[in-house]
Amino acid sequence: MIFRAVEDGDLIRQAARGSVEAYNLLVSRWEKRVYNYLLRITGNREDALDLTQDVFLKAYQNLRKLDDHARFAPWLYRIAHNEAYSMFRKRRPESDVDEMEPEATQTGITVGGSSVFPIELSLAVASALERLSPDQREAVVLKIYQGFKFEEMAEILECPVSTVKSRLYTALDLLKTELAPVSARGVS
Amino acid sequence: MSCSPILLKDYLMKELAEPERRNLDVHLKGCPECREELDRLRLTEAALFSLREEEIPQRIAFVSDPVFEPAPWRRWWSALWASPARLGFVSAAMLSGAILFSAATRPAPIAVTTTPAPAPVQTMAAVQPPPAMSDAEIQRRIDSAVTKAVTASHEQEMVQVRELVSDLEQKRQQLKLAMAELDIYQRRAENVRLMSYDMPRPTPGGQQ
Repeated sequence: MIFRAVEDGDLIRQAARGSVEAYNLLVSRWEKRVYNYLLRITGNREDALDLTQDVFLKAYQNLRKLDDHARFAPWLYRIAHNEAYSMFRKRRPESDVDEMEPEATQTGITVGGSSVFPIELSLAVASALERLSPDQREAVVLKIYQGFKFEEMAEILECPVSTVKSRLYTALDLLKTELAPVSARGVS
Repeated sequence: MSCSPILLKDYLMKELAEPERRNLDVHLKGCPECREELDRLRLTEAALFSLREEEIPQRIAFVSDPVFEPAPWRRWWSALWASPARLGFVSAAMLSGAILFSAATRPAPIAVTTTPAPAPVQTMAAVQPPPAMSDAEIQRRIDSAVTKAVTASHEQEMVQVRELVSDLEQKRQQLKLAMAELDIYQRRAENVRLMSYDMPRPTPGGQQ
C-alpha cells in the first residue's frame, strides 16, 4: 500500500479555496492517467496533451461544484470524455461522433519498446483496438487500462451500466477472436 | 448453476458479489468448457496489457494567475456554501424574505396621512395608482368594523352595569326597610320594659 501524506480529498478542498500549489500536486497525480486515456481514445499525442491541459483547467474552474470528493476520478474523466468528444464534433461536425475512428494508432500509441511483451503482440493489440468502435474502445480503455468500476464508467459515459457492460463484453469477444493466434504465442 | 458467458466476464472483471463469485468457483471446478473460456479471456486481457502506458510529454502546472482565480465574492460564496453555517444562512435569508414580503404587502399605516403634505390623499393617489380597493379604504373599513365592535361591546357592558346598579339599589331598599322594622321592634321592646317598671308589684299573699 502506498502511503500518501495528503489525500486527494484534502488537496481538492485546498484547491477549491484557491490553493494553486495544492491543485498542481493533484494534477501531478492524475495527469499521466488522463493523458493515456485521451491518447487511447484520440490516437494522437498532440491532441491528447492539448486535451489534458484543457481538462485540468476546466476541472480547476469547476472544482467547487464537486460535492463528493470521493467521486473526483469519474468526475474528472467525465470532463475528459466531454472534451474529447467536443473536439471530435468540431473537427467533423457533419458526421456521427460514434462512427468516427481515431487517427493512425502508430502515431499515438507506443507498442513494444521496453515492454516485457513481444513487439508483434503489442502491434496486434493496437491494431485490434483500432478496429473496435469508439464506444467499445473507450469501454475497454476505462475498464482494462484505467480500472474503473461499471458504475463509475456509467457516470463517465452518461449511460446505463447495462450499456457499459454490453459494449465492453462485445469488445472482449472481438478482441479474443482477433488476438487468439498471437496471444497464445506471446503470453505464457 | 448453468454456464453463463456474461457471468464469466463479470468474474474476470471482478464485478461479481462474493456469494456469486464462490458459486462460480464451484461451477468452474466441474465445468471444463467454462474453464477454457475463462483461460481464453485471461489471455486476451494479458495481451491487452502488452500496450505500455506512456509518460506525458510535458508536465502540466498552473501558476497563480488572477485570470484563472475565482472572483473574491465567488470564493466567499463558495466558502459560505461549503460551511456548516449554510443552513442557518438559508433560514435567515428566508426569514428576511418573509419579513420584507410582509412589509411590502401589508396596508399602509394611518400615520401616513398625518404627514405634513398639503394634500396627503391626493399625494398617495398620485404615487400609487388606485387599485380596486385602496389601502385607505381597507383601513377605513377595518376602523369602522372595530368601532362598531367596540361600541357594541361597550353597550353590552353598560347594560350589565345598569342591571347590577338596579339590583344593588333594590337590595339597599330592602335593607333600609329591614332596618326600619328593626327600629320599630326595638322601640316597642323599650316601651314594654318601661311600662313594666311603672306597674305595682304583687305582694305574696296580697289577695284579699
